[in-house]
Amino acid sequence: MSDRTLSRKMIPATKKRSQALDVWKRLRKSNSAIAGLILIFIFLCLAVFAPLIADYENDALKMNIIERLQSPGADHWFGTDEMGRDIFARIVYGTRISLFVGVISVSIALTLGGTLGAIAGYYGGKIDNIIMRTLDVLLAIPTILLAITIVAALGASILNLMIAVGISNIPGFARVVRAAVLSIKDQEFIEAARAIGSRDHTIILKHVLPNSMAPIIVFATLKVASAIMATASLSFIGLGIQPPTPEWGSMLAGGRAYIRDNMYIVLYPGLAIVLTVLSLNLIGDGLRDALDPKLK
Amino acid sequence: MKGTVLKVENLAVRYVTEDGIVQAVNGIDISVEKGSTLGLVGETGAGKTTTALSVLRLIPDPPGEVVSGKIELDGKALMELPESKMEKIRGGLVSMIFQDPMTALNPVLKVGDQIAEAIKIHQQLSQDKALQKAREMLEMVGIPGARMNEYPHQFSGGMKQRVVIAIALSCSPKLLIADEPTTALDVTIQAQVLELMKELKEKMDMAMIMITHDLGVVAEVCDNVAIMYAGRIVEQGTLEEIFNNTKHPYTEGLFLSIPNIDDRKAELKPIRGLMSDPFNLPPGCSFCDRCDYAMDKCATEKPEKVHFSPDHFVECHLYPDNKEFQLKGGKG
Amino acid sequence: MKDKEVLLQVRNLKKYFDTPKGKLHAVDDITFDLRKGKTLGLVGESGCGKSTTGRVILRLLEATDGEIIYNGKNIRELSPKEMRALRKEIQIIFQDPFSSLDPRMTVSEIIEEPIKLNKLIRDRKKRFERVLELMDLVGLSRRLMNTYPHELDGGRRQRIGIARALALDTKFIVCDEPVSALDVSIQAQILNLLKELQKKLGLTYIFITHDLSVVNHFSDDIAVMYLGKLIEKASAEELFSNPVHPYTKALLSAIPRPTLEKTGEKIILKGEISSPINPEDNCRFANRCPYARDVCRQSEPPLRESGENHFVACHLF
Repeated sequence: MSDRTLSRKMIPATKKRSQALDVWKRLRKSNSAIAGLILIFIFLCLAVFAPLIADYENDALKMNIIERLQSPGADHWFGTDEMGRDIFARIVYGTRISLFVGVISVSIALTLGGTLGAIAGYYGGKIDNIIMRTLDVLLAIPTILLAITIVAALGASILNLMIAVGISNIPGFARVVRAAVLSIKDQEFIEAARAIGSRDHTIILKHVLPNSMAPIIVFATLKVASAIMATASLSFIGLGIQPPTPEWGSMLAGGRAYIRDNMYIVLYPGLAIVLTVLSLNLIGDGLRDALDPKLK
Repeated sequence: MKGTVLKVENLAVRYVTEDGIVQAVNGIDISVEKGSTLGLVGETGAGKTTTALSVLRLIPDPPGEVVSGKIELDGKALMELPESKMEKIRGGLVSMIFQDPMTALNPVLKVGDQIAEAIKIHQQLSQDKALQKAREMLEMVGIPGARMNEYPHQFSGGMKQRVVIAIALSCSPKLLIADEPTTALDVTIQAQVLELMKELKEKMDMAMIMITHDLGVVAEVCDNVAIMYAGRIVEQGTLEEIFNNTKHPYTEGLFLSIPNIDDRKAELKPIRGLMSDPFNLPPGCSFCDRCDYAMDKCATEKPEKVHFSPDHFVECHLYPDNKEFQLKGGKG
Repeated sequence: MKDKEVLLQVRNLKKYFDTPKGKLHAVDDITFDLRKGKTLGLVGESGCGKSTTGRVILRLLEATDGEIIYNGKNIRELSPKEMRALRKEIQIIFQDPFSSLDPRMTVSEIIEEPIKLNKLIRDRKKRFERVLELMDLVGLSRRLMNTYPHELDGGRRQRIGIARALALDTKFIVCDEPVSALDVSIQAQILNLLKELQKKLGLTYIFITHDLSVVNHFSDDIAVMYLGKLIEKASAEELFSNPVHPYTKALLSAIPRPTLEKTGEKIILKGEISSPINPEDNCRFANRCPYARDVCRQSEPPLRESGENHFVACHLF
């Protein structure tokens, strides 16, 4: 019983502590989360400082038949592809696209899906039914198929790719946010807020959402990873980023004919995808544990 | 014929957590006579449940750790038994009832099967015989035998607690530990369940430890009372000694905190402050900073037991020098 | 009743919930008055509708039917804007000090919220002073200002809830089991605090509880509820010395008393509370009542005066 729940917390502190700091303290204890954070930090640096690392026009885009299919070495760290372009440079610029598309498409899904989910969860009843049943129809179609359909309809471009991946993730976000809101809205402090005269939108913004953040943050982190996967997959089948723009998925697609003799052409883009997705998943898992025990 | 069913000596349990060490139980002695009921009274965090779990050797380890103590149940030294033997003893020699009947039953099993399962673990019976016995147990706790094929959610809170009692008593334990068995129930249902427990205790001639914070419940079912505070038993005695000859200031404080239903004008005199931090117990008496009678000595020295009768003792600095000392609170 | 001004009149209040099995009669046609500066105890076991009554009065739930007249105005007919204005006067203290405070806000933010929201004090510094004043009033040490509720014990958390309820121009508070989640010694501290505040600020309370000893200590008048019905109501003294309804009698006798002197025979009721969904037209207590007659199973007893200011709904009187 409560013998165990008594803790040092009984001794009150005098300074206001930030709750984010507490989360960070717990997150720091997880080795895998830290590994994920370091990896993703490296990728972020690559994306931000890409122009300092490699020349976009000359290394990543320009065909250079003389230097085609070179093995990794001092000149070309990761070797060159079938058009003689530097694979390292292409991966560096590919990072920009992958992270950008991942984050933006998840933002689209979070904004739209989150709003719908919050409304459905908070008001319940008919509104809930209409919103969630509509989204259930979307959910019945596999995410990647839905994205393919949308891109096919809108045409292949970066913007359309983000929209497609974003829209196909809306139902997932709506569900997670709705569940989080449902678990919060029946708590007494929501009623307490109503009792002092708060309006609905104040209650949702000030009390419901901040308290349902934990599962949403975790889900969003994991979803960035799967959005990156989706982007790569769509590009792989030619529906995403169009060549010659460097993108990990299309690099895989371009190099797959040479896999027998020049494995590095697909090895490095593949590794880039695996590592970003893995690091985001590690962070997501770490966050889940760090955010979870907050309120015993 | 009387005898001692349970004897606990110098039990100390602590929990090692990230934030520090919680001294949950700090050297307590308990003995329960055959057929009698001991009330273990105290507030949240006093160590009541930890004490009960130690008797069943169910302290979660980690973080729990039994630092010292001898536990003797029906002549067997429990601390030395291997885990496999302990499993036979739990539910056989000693059973426990928990506070919340809502979570104590498995929601996907019929109640009859749940009782039969407990019976089969401890007695070599066929499924048919076990189910037959389960039906008898249900009827004994006042539930029609025909309801044994129903699921827990079809029962109300009071009925569920009856089922839990039926499971606990199915192997005729020598000792029943009841941890706040009626706290979650309504008053009229509480009265029913208490009545039932008293009746069954007589019928099966078992001993009982009743863990509670409610002195009203104690007055109704207990023969002896131990008052716990911050992991120590601060006062122990027969029901009459504790109620009519209260010696410890904390015991007195508990009595004065309860609104008196027969005298509505009586003023409540709450104990001030909060229970001391279990991470950091004071060197002297743990109750010292909430006590109206505190002296200098109380802050620095642990009080020793002072006996008023073979059964009645108190751990308080007020008495060694002056056994005639009377608490002023109008009680006792 | 003439001696004091009536602050709140509840007339034929009903609250039904739709459930898949039928209409759940949570509150079924209850009527009572509440005098200014006094406390009405609303007593009953779980599921009797006492908490629903409290929430319907504050319009945290919308009533199905009936009138709630506060200071001459029918609360049920107020516009959302008028209602928000009224919320400055009528407040609630919750049972569970662990779920009634937003875990992401500090103590001072929680107490400040109603003042800020209702734009009572616009100046930040003055508002902060008011928060400190409120903390002093309810006996919360000022150094706890920046702690989060989960770092505090139940008693202190309940004090935060009380401070928050007092932050506005509070005149009337519904106390929904404010002490039942607390330890005995802390319970007494909070009860004394509530009593003291009532005296100091002239508050009017509805005190909802299942604990009869607490309600006796605390209330001037008591109303006993059973399955959505008000079955007996009288002054606390009258009710405890002279209970009339068989349920009230059983309830009173069932309380475990912390004393060795045995006071009268215990009445142990048989059975349990029946379903509040689509109740039949009979006395709701008939199936558990030791004195039930045919008439009890055939029609519902009205609330009648059995003595001076003592009302009871029972066919036997």
